[in-house]
Amino acid sequence: MERFAGLVWATVRAHRLAPADAADVAQTTWLRLVESLDRINEPDRLGAWLATTARRECLRHIRLQGRVVSTGDNAVFEAPSEERAEQRLLTRERNVALRRALGRISERCQELLRVLAAPEPPSYEEIAAALDMPIGAIGPTRARCVEQLRRTPEVAGLEIG
Amino acid sequence: MTSETDPDEQLVGELRAFFAEVDPVPPLVIELATASLGWRRLDAELAELLSDSALEEESVALARSSGAAVRAVTFGSGELTIDLEVHSDDHGRTLLGQLSPPVATTIEVQTATDAPASAEAQADRLGRFRVRLPSGGPIRLRVLGEGGSSRPPVETSWITV
Repeated sequence: MERFAGLVWATVRAHRLAPADAADVAQTTWLRLVESLDRINEPDRLGAWLATTARRECLRHIRLQGRVVSTGDNAVFEAPSEERAEQRLLTRERNVALRRALGRISERCQELLRVLAAPEPPSYEEIAAALDMPIGAIGPTRARCVEQLRRTPEVAGLEIG
Repeated sequence: MTSETDPDEQLVGELRAFFAEVDPVPPLVIELATASLGWRRLDAELAELLSDSALEEESVALARSSGAAVRAVTFGSGELTIDLEVHSDDHGRTLLGQLSPPVATTIEVQTATDAPASAEAQADRLGRFRVRLPSGGPIRLRVLGEGGSSRPPVETSWITV
């Protein structure tokens, strides 16, 4: 279950929901699963089903929030942890560099990389479901996005990869 | 597909470590993911979401009153329809409901975190009920069978209010 929890979380955060909203949507995704257990007859596609459901619940939430609630905290890379903890993390060179570098690349690439970097590597089918992309586009897009990230001065300075 | 020596995979691995630190899956989300599988109630009939004004383009219901947002949601099971108006304000949510056909019975509002029941209301003989919730979040309604009747309870699918 932890692998799937990580995939759902990455999907929701890739949709730029603030931490509290993200937790609500992640929870709703699990509740949908509970309701739908009878109808899921391909257990090996559970990850893709969860990613699709999480994406739809995000769109529903964003739509609802746009009309009803007016909180403006959409920072996708904002840690949901306390400020002090975040400060401590911020001092770490890699985190600072990656955070800045991510801010420089296209939004689509930010989203793809957020899902790719789920705690356990998701399959291309799961990524496609999370972001509503054709499976065939993921390999080339991934290569393009990683290249964008690598060319940022911050990552070039870190000499990763 | 990829190997550890693949430089792209190395950079994605760095991102994975980065997100694991600055945006980990909140423990509560993992907990609820696991717990939700235990919440399946087999004694109740499911009333599925039939319509939700939050998902409709140019909804009249949302724009009806000035300032206060109203959302109209309908659930249906075999013989029971539940119409719900969700009124949102800064201090919580008010649910105004109508059971059709009308039945005087008890309605429980379940939240994801306060299982089993966090609020309760009594529908009058016209099938009307009103519930006040201190905050938004995922909820579902459980409409109990009438006193002494053999009708099983009806549970709605989850929605986030």
